[in-house]
Amino acid sequence: MTGTADLKEFIAAYLVEAEEHLAVANTQLLAIESAQKDGQANPRAVRETFRSLHTIKGLSAMVGVEPVVAIAHRMENFLRDSDRSGGTLAQSAIDALLRGVRAIEQRVAALARGDSAAAPSEELLAALDSLGLAATPPAPTPAAVLDLEPAMLTKLAPFEVEQLLRGIAAGQRALRVEFSPSPERAAQGLTINSVRERAAKVADIVRVLPRAVPVSADSPGGLSFVLLLLSRSSDEQVVDALGLAEANLRSIARELPEAPPESELVPTSEAELDGAEDGKLDTQSRRGVVRVDVSRLDDAMEGLSSLIVTRFRLARAIASLTERGVNTRELSEIMTDNARQLRDLRAAIVRVRMVPVSELLERIPLLVRGLRRATNRSVRLELEGGSAELDKAVSERLFPVIVHLVRNAVDHAIETPDERLRRGKPEEGLLRITCGARTNTRLELTVSDDGRGIDRAAVAKKAGRASPSDDAGLLDLLCIPGLSTRDIVTTTSGRGMGMEIVKRTIVDELGGELEVHSEFGQGTTFTLRVPLTISIVDAFSFECGEQRFVVPVTMVDEIVEVDPNALVKVPANDDGSPTVDILSRRGVAVPMVQLSQVFRLNTSPRAASKAIVVRRAGLPVAFAVDRMLGQQEVVIRPLNDVLVRAPGVSGATDLGDGRPTLVLDLVALSASLSSAKLANGRSW
Amino acid sequence: MKLHVVFTLAGAEYALPFDSVLQMESYTGATLVPGAPAYVDGIVTVRGMVLPVLDLRTRFGLPRAELSLDTRIVVTESAARVVALRVDSAREVLKLDVEKHQPAPSIVSERSSGLVNAVHPLGKRLLLLIDLPKLLGENSHDLQPRALPADDGSSKRPQLPS
Repeated sequence: MTGTADLKEFIAAYLVEAEEHLAVANTQLLAIESAQKDGQANPRAVRETFRSLHTIKGLSAMVGVEPVVAIAHRMENFLRDSDRSGGTLAQSAIDALLRGVRAIEQRVAALARGDSAAAPSEELLAALDSLGLAATPPAPTPAAVLDLEPAMLTKLAPFEVEQLLRGIAAGQRALRVEFSPSPERAAQGLTINSVRERAAKVADIVRVLPRAVPVSADSPGGLSFVLLLLSRSSDEQVVDALGLAEANLRSIARELPEAPPESELVPTSEAELDGAEDGKLDTQSRRGVVRVDVSRLDDAMEGLSSLIVTRFRLARAIASLTERGVNTRELSEIMTDNARQLRDLRAAIVRVRMVPVSELLERIPLLVRGLRRATNRSVRLELEGGSAELDKAVSERLFPVIVHLVRNAVDHAIETPDERLRRGKPEEGLLRITCGARTNTRLELTVSDDGRGIDRAAVAKKAGRASPSDDAGLLDLLCIPGLSTRDIVTTTSGRGMGMEIVKRTIVDELGGELEVHSEFGQGTTFTLRVPLTISIVDAFSFECGEQRFVVPVTMVDEIVEVDPNALVKVPANDDGSPTVDILSRRGVAVPMVQLSQVFRLNTSPRAASKAIVVRRAGLPVAFAVDRMLGQQEVVIRPLNDVLVRAPGVSGATDLGDGRPTLVLDLVALSASLSSAKLANGRSW
Repeated sequence: MKLHVVFTLAGAEYALPFDSVLQMESYTGATLVPGAPAYVDGIVTVRGMVLPVLDLRTRFGLPRAELSLDTRIVVTESAARVVALRVDSAREVLKLDVEKHQPAPSIVSERSSGLVNAVHPLGKRLLLLIDLPKLLGENSHDLQPRALPADDGSSKRPQLPS
């Protein structure tokens, strides 16, 4: 191992980590910005941003990327101060921080290309430096002091105290709810988790503190939890929602303001920033995560495939032992276990390829922010993601589609603020994206806006067709290839642009569904349903017996021209098994069967012109087909139903004609042929 | 009272509980699957799902019919299996009183290999009720079981049948 190789490896890991933390910083900054708009502080997001920058600085220092260290250091300093002073940031500060993140991103991207990271501009550094000076801490004069045990107060982080004080100042009620877990309560469905969930519905949870209490009938475990809440609901409403007795709740806002000495609030230390209980949850979900190149997963899958092939050979060997009268019962049992293990292993590998939908959605806010600025539209983004996971390959194909729909919505569908006001709509447009697993196998994603809606008649006129009577008809129009988009963009809020590509990706490539619902003047919703997993392979398509098929490229040894004159005919059987010809290929005799015969298809009048050669156990077998059509990436969908599981058929795909096309496994097919032959006491 | 989908097959009327029917679609033919049982027309794509089409006429031993404008597939679901049934026509959804189901006469039940498990008189009409779990469940034994499920395609390499 040389030093340089070592460093390279290190840089690769650095780039991955840095990108991850930059994504977090972006997301959190946007969260701060949107909270700010509603006049609220988001101390947690400030902390998260601080942590990301802190990590980026540390990593960059390790690999010696000084320009990034310089930028991150300044941002980190400012964020630490902001955190201490309650997590409020001015818009100008947010802008500067986003600029800083972008500057780091550019440098990380440069490193990824193999370039060096440029020194940051003096202007940027100065802007970041001046942030610290401009940010005068809001210095809140606590309008109320918290009525909490000192021991408990010391456990609160300054931003939590701040949050409570602000909440009280804003007219919310600060409450302390105590919950002691016990087996009886658990039997009623009351656990700390369910209480937490219920509390979140009626209040903001500021902090949940566990504490030791004397063992009693009420708290058999000697443990109780104190929930500090901010709520606008009455005491009864809160205890009702929580399912607890009123005695467990009391207000912690004191009537008489009495400023606590500064020292009673624990000073923020970095250790605490890293260890605060609640904030930790977010980072923990990222910890213990390994990022792996998809090709490595493919390798694993490949290895598994060879295992399956080996298993097949083993099964045959056992079968022949059994035939010779050997007792193979134990072996058969082992084989059954083996089958199950292989199945589990495959499921495990498939699971590894799944990524959370949130990863797909967390890039949207930044996109919308950029569009907002570029188009001068006022847009509020509502994101509703779930915890669903989908195949990396699906996620990668889905993202450009979402970008496209979002861009269309902000660019064209949502009116300018003036226009909206004239139409009696709120000045701010609404863009809503929801995402969730609908079934075990499909994900539903909607992109909706409250903009102009699509003028069916105008789109129809543009396309030179009759005006569609329903949404399905409209979608067909929008997806007409090459529908001139520019005019439509300006006259009808333009949904034509690239919808064809959206449809191709969702319906043809991913095998999903696409729907549109548009109310003229009211808004438009696109609904996408895609399978959670797909598998894409490079495949040859060909025609045989008037039917189209595909075969994965990896399975094909070669494709050869068939010269009828150079074929050696093997005498035909009368047992109905396919006839076999011998094809001479570089001096090797290759047995060739007519695929149309094997599959009992209507034979076409023409003689087969091409043959696909595959190898089974090292020996070539040729399948004659009518003609080759091309090579393309196809999505293979499994044929799970027993009704259509047949030898040599491994799945189905869609070549764009809306009809399924069979994906063939010619290696398996040749195996089934040869075993049939063997059963007849013949061989190739 | 329970909603039922009514369809026709060789002049007789059949019914399936509405909640076991996902949808009804017109039908213009399927992609042939070589090696599949004779009563399987092939596969079709319905709303993104690739489904086998079971020709109910052939399954019930009735003569095959040409495709017509009335030909429909009734997409059914039973025990997580989704299968499209090819029928002559499907036009009606009726509320039937389940209490009025009667056991199928033995001749009907025998002729249909037990796949028609009840009848429902409705005025002058007689609806035959199909035992869907049996219809779909039965097929799982028709083909030899495989040691491993069909490849979901994630693997680039072939998977050999055992």
